[in-house]
Amino acid sequence: MARPPRIWISNETPSLGEIVRVRAQMVHVMESGFRIDAAGQTIPEDILTGFTASLGDAVLLEWSPETAISQNPYIEFTFAARQPGTLRMVWTDAGGVVAEAEKEIAVG
Amino acid sequence: MTSFVFDLRRRDLLAGGAALAGLVAAGVPTAAQAQATTAMPQLDTAEADRLAAAFTGGAEVLAEGLALDLPALGDNPAAVPVRVHVTEPITEASWCEEMIVIADLNPQPFACRFRFTAETGSADVAVRVRLIQTMPIRAYARMNDGRVLAARHDITVAAGGCGL
Repeated sequence: MARPPRIWISNETPSLGEIVRVRAQMVHVMESGFRIDAAGQTIPEDILTGFTASLGDAVLLEWSPETAISQNPYIEFTFAARQPGTLRMVWTDAGGVVAEAEKEIAVG
Repeated sequence: MTSFVFDLRRRDLLAGGAALAGLVAAGVPTAAQAQATTAMPQLDTAEADRLAAAFTGGAEVLAEGLALDLPALGDNPAAVPVRVHVTEPITEASWCEEMIVIADLNPQPFACRFRFTAETGSADVAVRVRLIQTMPIRAYARMNDGRVLAARHDITVAAGGCGL
C-alpha cells in the first residue's frame, strides 16, 4: 500500500451502453519464487493473486494472475456502461487486500 | 606522455565506477544477479497442452472469434504486452464467461485467468507478462453457450533478464 494505483478511464460520463476502457497499474514486487538471494536462499514467492472490478453490485471482471505476470501489474479491461454506479477495483495477494480504488461512473 | 596515460586510466576508472554505481542505483540486475534464479523453461509444450485440455474439457476448439495481440518482438521480456479480446459481438444473450492465457515454455506456463459476467458486456483485456524465452503464447475463451475459442501467436523475445 506504498503508493495508490494509477487509474485511467476513457470516459467517466459514458452514454448508456457505451464501452468504457479502464487501465490500472499498481505497485507489487511480484516475487516469482524462483530467485535466489546473495546467501543462496530461495526468495519466497510473493505475487498478486487476485483483482476484482465491479460496478455497483455487478462484478465486471475477476483476474487471477500467476508468476508470469510482470512486476507492478498492469490490467486493462473494458465494460459496457449499462448502469451508473461506483467502479470499484480491489487487488489482493496472499496477505489480503493490497490496494483499492474507486471511480464514480455517471451514465447519461 | 606518462601523465597522459595516467589521465586516461583515471578517467576510465571514474567513468566505469560512475556507470556501475548508476546501474546499481537504478536496480538493473548485473550479470551475477541475473543468474541467481532456479527458473528453467519448459522443455516442450506438454504442460501447456495439459493446461489447455483442462480448460477446454474436451469441447471442440474453434480457431476463430478470439484475437491475441502481441508485439512481433518482445524487446523487454520482463514486460511483454498481451491483449486478448473476443471479436464477435458481446450481447446480453451471448457473452464470454472465462478466458485464460498460457505462455507455453515458461516455468509455470499458466499465465492468468479472467472471469467475466453477463453484466460486463465486453471481453477485452490486456496485461503484461514476463517470458523466459522465445515461445508460443495461446489464449482460450469459453462463451456462455459452451463454445471454446482459441488464438495463438509466436513471440520472439530478447534474451535474459526476464525477472523470473
